[in-house]
Amino acid sequence: MISQFFVLSLRGDNIIFRDYRADVPKSSAEIFFRKVKFWKGEEGEEAPPVFNVDGVNYLHVKVAGLLFVATSRVNVSPSLVLELLQRIVRVAKDYLGVLNEESLRKNFVLVYELLDETIDFGYPQTTSTEVLKSYVFNEPITIDAARIPNLGAAAIFMQGSRRMPGTAVTKSVVANEPGGKKREEIFVDIIEKISVTFSSSGYILTSEVDGTIQMKSYLTGNPEIRLALNEDLSIGSGGGSNYEYGGSGGMGMVMLDDCNFHESVRLDDFDLDRTLTLLVIHFIITKVPPDGEFPVMNYRMTQEFKVPFKVYPTISDVGAFKAELVLKVRAEFANTITANSVVLRVPLPKSTTRATFQLELGASGQSTDFKESNKMMEWSLRKVTGGSEHLLRVKLTLSQERNANIKKETGPVSMNFTIPMYNASRLQVRYLQIVKKSKTYNPYRWVRYVTHANSYVVRL
Amino acid sequence: MCLPGNQAFFILKGTMSGHDSKYFSTTKKGEIPELKEELNSQYKDKKKDAVKKVIAAMTVGKDVSMLFTDVVNCMQTENLELKKLVYLYLINYAKSQPDLAILAVNTFVKDSQDPNPLIRALAVRTMGCIRVDKITEYLCDPLQRCLKDDDPYVRKTAAICVAKLYDINAELVEDRGFLETLKDLISDSNPMVVANAVAALAEIQESSSKVIFEITSHTLFKLLAALNECTEWGQVFILDALSSYKAKDARDAENIVERVTPRLQHANCAVVLSAVKVILQQMEHISSQDVIRTLCKKMAPPLVTLISAEPEIQYVALRNINLIVQKRPLILAHEIKVFFCKYNDPIYVKMEKLEIMIKLASDRNIDQVLLEFKEYATEVDVDFVRKAVRAIGRCAIKLERAAEKCIGVLLDLIKIKVNYVVQEAIIVIKDIFRRYPNMYESIIATLCENLDTLDEPEAKASMIWIIGEYAERIDNADELLESFLETFPEEPAQVQLQLLTAAVKLFLKKPTERPQEMIQVVLNNATQETDNPDLRDRAYIYWRLLSTDPEAAKDVVLAEKPTISDDSNQLDSSLLDELLGNIATLASVYHKPPESFVSRVKTVQKPEEDEEYLEGQDSGQNESSAPIPDSVVASVPANANRAASAAPVQPAAAPPMPDLMSDLISLDLVPVSEPTAAAPSGPPLPVIFPASAGQGLQISGRLIRRDGQVFYSLAFENNTTGPLDGFQIQFNKNTFGLAAAGPLQVPSLLPGTKADTLLPMLLFQNLSVGPPSSVLQVAVKNHQQPVWYFTDKIPLQALFLEDGKMERGSFLETWKALPDSHEVTRDLPTALISSVDATVEKLSSSNLFYIARRMLKDTNQDVLYLSCKVPYVSGKSIPFLVELTALVGSPGVKCAVKTPSPEMSPLLFDAIDFLLK
Repeated sequence: MISQFFVLSLRGDNIIFRDYRADVPKSSAEIFFRKVKFWKGEEGEEAPPVFNVDGVNYLHVKVAGLLFVATSRVNVSPSLVLELLQRIVRVAKDYLGVLNEESLRKNFVLVYELLDETIDFGYPQTTSTEVLKSYVFNEPITIDAARIPNLGAAAIFMQGSRRMPGTAVTKSVVANEPGGKKREEIFVDIIEKISVTFSSSGYILTSEVDGTIQMKSYLTGNPEIRLALNEDLSIGSGGGSNYEYGGSGGMGMVMLDDCNFHESVRLDDFDLDRTLTLLVIHFIITKVPPDGEFPVMNYRMTQEFKVPFKVYPTISDVGAFKAELVLKVRAEFANTITANSVVLRVPLPKSTTRATFQLELGASGQSTDFKESNKMMEWSLRKVTGGSEHLLRVKLTLSQERNANIKKETGPVSMNFTIPMYNASRLQVRYLQIVKKSKTYNPYRWVRYVTHANSYVVRL
Repeated sequence: MCLPGNQAFFILKGTMSGHDSKYFSTTKKGEIPELKEELNSQYKDKKKDAVKKVIAAMTVGKDVSMLFTDVVNCMQTENLELKKLVYLYLINYAKSQPDLAILAVNTFVKDSQDPNPLIRALAVRTMGCIRVDKITEYLCDPLQRCLKDDDPYVRKTAAICVAKLYDINAELVEDRGFLETLKDLISDSNPMVVANAVAALAEIQESSSKVIFEITSHTLFKLLAALNECTEWGQVFILDALSSYKAKDARDAENIVERVTPRLQHANCAVVLSAVKVILQQMEHISSQDVIRTLCKKMAPPLVTLISAEPEIQYVALRNINLIVQKRPLILAHEIKVFFCKYNDPIYVKMEKLEIMIKLASDRNIDQVLLEFKEYATEVDVDFVRKAVRAIGRCAIKLERAAEKCIGVLLDLIKIKVNYVVQEAIIVIKDIFRRYPNMYESIIATLCENLDTLDEPEAKASMIWIIGEYAERIDNADELLESFLETFPEEPAQVQLQLLTAAVKLFLKKPTERPQEMIQVVLNNATQETDNPDLRDRAYIYWRLLSTDPEAAKDVVLAEKPTISDDSNQLDSSLLDELLGNIATLASVYHKPPESFVSRVKTVQKPEEDEEYLEGQDSGQNESSAPIPDSVVASVPANANRAASAAPVQPAAAPPMPDLMSDLISLDLVPVSEPTAAAPSGPPLPVIFPASAGQGLQISGRLIRRDGQVFYSLAFENNTTGPLDGFQIQFNKNTFGLAAAGPLQVPSLLPGTKADTLLPMLLFQNLSVGPPSSVLQVAVKNHQQPVWYFTDKIPLQALFLEDGKMERGSFLETWKALPDSHEVTRDLPTALISSVDATVEKLSSSNLFYIARRMLKDTNQDVLYLSCKVPYVSGKSIPFLVELTALVGSPGVKCAVKTPSPEMSPLLFDAIDFLLK
């Protein structure tokens, strides 16, 4: 099992360090940091999350600009250790509200106490904030959330580009509000990451939705919560082996390939062993929810779905040392919805020396950039309303005379965006019921949808 | 550290109760007396804050151990928060203040009987973390009670505590019967307790050679029942324990699988992977193809879902899937799309996805796959691009029907003229040519257009190989080769060797004027202007061949080569099976067997006096006088080693060692016919290359040491129908750079005859890079048969130097100087010390020298200290300090080794295991 747990800043400072077995030297944090920083002897090379140096196994995850590391001497389950690290992160977030170097340092006594209850002799014990509450006595000291940059309305869903986001609010689950009483409220977020690859002729090569229903509960007394999803939801083997329904677009049904649930979820009306021939009429999750933020359900869908954006890129020669790239983006969703922070990135031919951008007349909230060092152009649109279309012309100056490869050297176009109140899978929460303790009990309920681009790529 | 902890703490106090802040500003009194005063305050809050400050100071590395007594005094409190803080402090300082730690014992024992279960559990948990013998003694009674506590939280904590205690003092655990109590906990009503008991037992089993924890059908039932109820982590412990269970029959296996399958739906990836492991293992016992098919179908979606997790988890999942698809390709045969790379995947994920794409590539999906690879080959990351290009080549080699398409894509990529893409493409095209000879030469012209852009050795060598191989079809092959020749002396060895061979091929195929001149230049260069023995030897062999019998040269050089096969299932089946048994462990991520990276350094139980011997020295508390009792040393004859080392008989007449150079010039090409005098004595040589593999030629052999020199003792047996002659031998690069010191002296072998020989070997000739390995790859050829390749193991004992004996003083000094991380231990269960004197004699005859011996009173075990030395490049050597613990006359030897090069220790263990058999 694990020998040590530590948290390092990206500069290598030791923020938290706990030794459970005394079989790995204390210098491990330093050895680890040097190895990760200069993987393969080079700065910038990304180290894999699991590696062995001199008989010590190092496992780490990067979250919120911090490195969470565990060491072990034995043949442990790496998924267990990595999962545990992620859970420690989640527990820390639940307790501290905001997870960063400052909040960890301010609360280190609390964090050590949490760690002692979470891990004993290197074995994970419990990572449930709910359970931990009865064993942990230190009070969190919250830091002023307003001072943390990047927490605007859209940015709530933007923390960490890779990790599944969803911190609905940045306040501690445990700490009391300044007013003394906690506000009774619950957040349910349906967060979807979509990956689409378009061929050069505009066909969809692969498409996938990775979704999570995330819940963060500030309710006292752990009432039972009922969450009902679409009536036409079906779960079974989708993907390549799904011949019966393959390619038909699902006829309006929401067909998930696979899903899994938090351990507190009871599936009263649901039999997972049945296959896709089963139409689930009434899908209810009945549960006594734990405190803190946790995923109620993760799901994956490869059924075809309506893509939110179509991109039409073309590149053509316009002279011996010149080429023109035209990018057209069309928002395919309803005009009541607006996408935020839309960014398109295109690697340009290596011989590009200059790129001049020509936005449409009257375009606003848009900006363009060309990075000479890696020949990458970027087009950012602050807001894109459903149904709208935008165009950008880029005139390229090349250092080499045109060649046949100009198309091969350009692209692919990759796109980033966040679309609040939109989800690609059409999975919906039909209702969110909280079993009432009394007549006057009526907590705030928030159900929110958001879709992010994960890998949204258009080939040229 | 940029923000010191106490400063952070200061902010903390400031926000909580502003008036406290003054205590943390630098005071006139100094911090420590100030804290002392506060710790002894009569106000609880003040005490608590003081302890917090102490801990703040402790975590930033300040020494606050002088406050030990004051902090321990705060321990007797009902306030849990304060108690926990004190315990945290104790864990940290008890080791350095063992005497003071005793002060805390009473409170610990009292706390372990507190009415509050949290306090009981806390006391036992903390005591287990304090690795001080005196505390451990007092731990037993509370532990005994807590294991049978009414509260499950206390019991689950106590269960883990047994593992802690076993780690400190295994005997104590066994004597006090804790193992039995722990086993009883498997039947506990609380699943958390069951899970922790399983985890503790599994760990204890791992460090013990006795059977302690075995799953019977009775416990199996209990575990399966607890599986549904316990936390996700407990599920992992139980599943991992289940994976060691051998099902009685197919029904048993199906029953387990049925109970485990629902775990695949769990959101925790560790649960999913451990469940997959159990299912895969039980599948081996299931014969019904229908059941297996259904299981495969059920495993696919959860495995694919792992690829949607965080990238770190994805990486682990992909490494595991890589193994799973090698064994059961059907599981994911239809899911190749999910392994397509996303543009924002981290590079380590992309690389793994590529591997799996190659493994899943089939005639059905190759078009799609090639489209992806082609796209990846134009991405930014150079390593990824290279791997994508190689992937195309590997698909061509794997799928015959798709080879042409693959070559088409490679040619398209070459046309983009990106330097590293072109070079990588040429390397894989060479492999494609080897796989499909004489099929795609039409593309050579395109390749030749890119000659001048090649600057990497492997690409150059590949291109030169292609030119040589197809010299007769390339009109200007001579010109092309000449262009490389200009830089011959500066080229790396790899390129030089290829140039040499290509020039010979060209000459043999087109013996015209220009190639003739060229061959002269190359041979001159390669024989006279180089220090590389490989190159020189090869050049001499060609030279002699060409000058004696050009036709024979043709037969040798232009002989048909064995075609290569697809290497995308690289792991051999035994390793693969071992790794599949280790799914969901680190072994499955590294793709290495666990023993290659796990070295249980500290868990090895050291009896008390032993501890003093080694660690007492470390802390410098012992006197420097010899911890090895003199009486023991004296009990072994002082000249024992000496006598022993002189003992081995002189080897029968050393083989002739002709000067290589003159030999080659003067040697008649007729093979040496008189049998070599050197008939190796000793035990029969193991077969290293069986007749079944060598079309009737069988080779036995072992590396041995004679008179300070390494020899390869070999025996050749001709079971073919005709004579075999013209034997030659060559060694691949290896860890010790072993190479033949002279030609192989094997006579012409008539059918049914056998010849023995001793081949003198040199060290550090062709060193391989990478971690030390005992692998020695050998190639043997003769005139009648193709070249045979096989692998032998380098026994480290053949390298033990004669001067490996250490003085006792320097042994101790070296042992002390080496950090603990350089100590590696292994149990050799089948090794045997039948009598100390005989063993000592036997070992020193193999240059493993005796230093001292002592006896463990309580276990009656003997401990032997030995040393040996292994040569290392440029005249240096690596010392090994060995400690053998064994009960004389009964099998099982514990071997500990300390060395500056611990990575070598597996080889040493093998050697000792061999010597003690």
